[in-house]
Amino acid sequence: MSRMRVTISLLVPSLVLVIALGTPAISQTPKSGGTLNITQREDLPQGFAIHETQTSSTVWPSMPCFNNLVVYDPAKKVESFDTIVGDLAEKWSWQDNYRNLVFFLRKGVKWHDGQPFTSKDVKFTFDMVREGADAPAKLRINPRKDWYANVESIETPDAHTVVFHLKRPQPSILMMLASGYTPVYAAHVPPANYRTSCVGTGPFRLKEWRKGEFVEYVRNPDYFIKGRPYLDGLKYVVIVERGTRSAALQSGAVDVSYPGETSKTQAEQLKKAVPQLVVTPVSENVNNNVIMNIKKPPFDNLKIRLAVSHAIDRRALIQAVYQGGGVIGAAMAPKPHAFWGLGDKDLTALPGYGNAAEEKARAKKMMAELGYSPEKPLKVEMVTRAIAIYVDMASFVINELKQIGIESTLKQIETAQWHAMAVRGEYQIGANLTGLGADDPDGNFYENYACGSPRNYTHYCSEQVTKMIDQQSQEIDQKKRLAMVYAIQKKLEEDAARPILSWRMDYFTHWPYVKGLVVQNNVYNFGRMQEVWRDK
Amino acid sequence: MKSYVAQRLGIAILTLVGMSMVIFALLRLAPGDIVDILFSTAGYVNEADKQALLKELGMDRPYWVQYLDWMRQILTGDLGKSYRYDIPAWEIIRPLLPVTIELAILSIIVAVALGVPTGVISAVRQDTTLDYALRVVSLAGLSMPSFWLGMVIILGMVSWLGWIPPMTYVRPTENFKAHAIQFALPALAVGYRSSALIMRITRSSLLEVMREDYIRTAWAKGQAERVVIWHHALKNAILPVVTVIGIEFAFLIGGLVVTETVFNLPGVARFLVQAILWRDYPIVQNLVMFIAIVVILSNLFVDMLYGVLDPRVRYGS
Repeated sequence: MSRMRVTISLLVPSLVLVIALGTPAISQTPKSGGTLNITQREDLPQGFAIHETQTSSTVWPSMPCFNNLVVYDPAKKVESFDTIVGDLAEKWSWQDNYRNLVFFLRKGVKWHDGQPFTSKDVKFTFDMVREGADAPAKLRINPRKDWYANVESIETPDAHTVVFHLKRPQPSILMMLASGYTPVYAAHVPPANYRTSCVGTGPFRLKEWRKGEFVEYVRNPDYFIKGRPYLDGLKYVVIVERGTRSAALQSGAVDVSYPGETSKTQAEQLKKAVPQLVVTPVSENVNNNVIMNIKKPPFDNLKIRLAVSHAIDRRALIQAVYQGGGVIGAAMAPKPHAFWGLGDKDLTALPGYGNAAEEKARAKKMMAELGYSPEKPLKVEMVTRAIAIYVDMASFVINELKQIGIESTLKQIETAQWHAMAVRGEYQIGANLTGLGADDPDGNFYENYACGSPRNYTHYCSEQVTKMIDQQSQEIDQKKRLAMVYAIQKKLEEDAARPILSWRMDYFTHWPYVKGLVVQNNVYNFGRMQEVWRDK
Repeated sequence: MKSYVAQRLGIAILTLVGMSMVIFALLRLAPGDIVDILFSTAGYVNEADKQALLKELGMDRPYWVQYLDWMRQILTGDLGKSYRYDIPAWEIIRPLLPVTIELAILSIIVAVALGVPTGVISAVRQDTTLDYALRVVSLAGLSMPSFWLGMVIILGMVSWLGWIPPMTYVRPTENFKAHAIQFALPALAVGYRSSALIMRITRSSLLEVMREDYIRTAWAKGQAERVVIWHHALKNAILPVVTVIGIEFAFLIGGLVVTETVFNLPGVARFLVQAILWRDYPIVQNLVMFIAIVVILSNLFVDMLYGVLDPRVRYGS
């Protein structure tokens, strides 16, 4: 009896404990209602015209208006092929050995203006983006045309089926389609209208855009997922001044920070002031890199490019310039923050990633063999964008290069001139930042390393690497593809195609009552707000 | 008087025409244009698309045609379309004006309310501890940029009160209390700086007048200090102060950039900076013209006020 009592006396607390541990899950049942105030660092550069932009300043506040065919599961932190789930497409199927991608669309979906969503809208959107011969409309700026270069045609057998015919197998096209950069536009709305207003199928309808002030959304009562979104509304408050943004978050005037804007130091200060704030370190999918014009001397010489790569102490850069807010990696964002990056073991074997003193000594030796030294330096001009995060990095790199016999003068280029200058190759060496719309090798390699790509600023062009890029793109087996991607990354660093210095980390901050907002490893992809709710 | 005003308005129109040419030329001299920036945010450049966009925005036309087109737009009240937002420029500019004008007026009220009395006290109590203290306070106001003071206010509030003023513009009709709070803090920050200048001018001007014979006569007649200072002395010392107030007001219309940015107020100056960064010519040109008009009109108003304040001032002859 007494043993029974003991058992019961042990069981009861245990049960209480189990229930107590379970309670958070119960209390985590999403609540509906309320408005979320979200930080916006600048006014929307191209309104809601996501297809005409390459900046999160447009994508982040526009995503709640739209849907894609597929999306990255909003509950998963790291995006990969396996985390893609249906959005406007209920399901999809690969056919003809990955040459045809068939989407089966949801039925009963309506645009915010009440028009029905059909396969015509999908065909309209992607014919326009890929600039197909029979495209019914043209975007005035089309930065991601190359993403769909492999699409031969798009067919709509019926109102709820769409077939993407591909020139060759390309499983990773799904990765691009899942990006926040890939919403479906309404065929009955001229694309130019998206610069000032938004007609989407998304969980939120645009209520008002007060230029330079805020963007306000209200819940879409006709949203095709019943019970979503949880919030009644969203308000993106434009706060241009960084200090004011921080104060607004600290005071609770806004509930959520802007992705990619909170440095480690700033997050630490915020956490110290308001300990209950939730800080999530996450890769921005943006890297710092050195661009060297391979078409012009002296950087047409591989030895000099390699010396540059060896000379820069990546770990010191992360500490000195980003106060620890970064991680080292090669051409793809590193693990565990992303999927395709090289591991530490592979990285340390690459030029510039090993022991800093040894790497610098090697760089010095290479420059000495070419007749240069700190006393008799090679003089070059380093360009960078006239923005603090660029200039800080450039200053660090200049100091590193000085130690091996490369003396650089810094030339700051205004944003308006930067890309035109880089595309035309009117520079010798530069300090650059590169953001990736999707953590996918195709999106990155074709855009930044393929021969002739307008964003291949260094004009690096290797037949061998191009072949490797094409091969990995067609590979269906993800394990084999991963191995191929590793090999490409190694080759790119060995060729000093565009030495990667670090991957930037964001310390995304929000108040604890903001629930369901899973911060993903890409600033462009987690802004839908469909699953977000307020526990307040 | 009428002919004087007409003459001044004539000069004002010529000034504005000259200004328009300078603004137009300077904007085009700055490196890059909206098309470069749009492509920059897209991360690539396509020459054919670029030319098409230049044509769409009318930027492929000769400069003189673009200038005349702008002048025609001003005369017809149509300010053109914002390159960046693709909507009529007036729709963007209109909501900015009341914000900046209200902030400038409130700042001037704060500046006058603080600057004139402290200037008078400082002059009357010359070389006393109070005078020195007020001069230090005023010198501090001149030394502290208003944006810095604004940021200190914001950070102080968030640290001590856990609160900051509203981050989006609250219309007075929406919530008068919130509106008043939203404007009170920036007006104090800007007004304090301006008050320092007004205080120093008031003090020096009053000290000069106080040494005049008629003031000595007023003292000799046994008039009360209040009457001597406020009625006789200040009335004559106020002209340079009015000039400074006019200049300050005109400056504030275009000079509140950082204050509007720090307090997140959607005013002319903050928007102007963004428009310049985007090379949004229709917005920049028209906003700068608006500022020029305010400067000219406030100068004219101050000149007119001289005649009211000092009967000896006569116009037109």
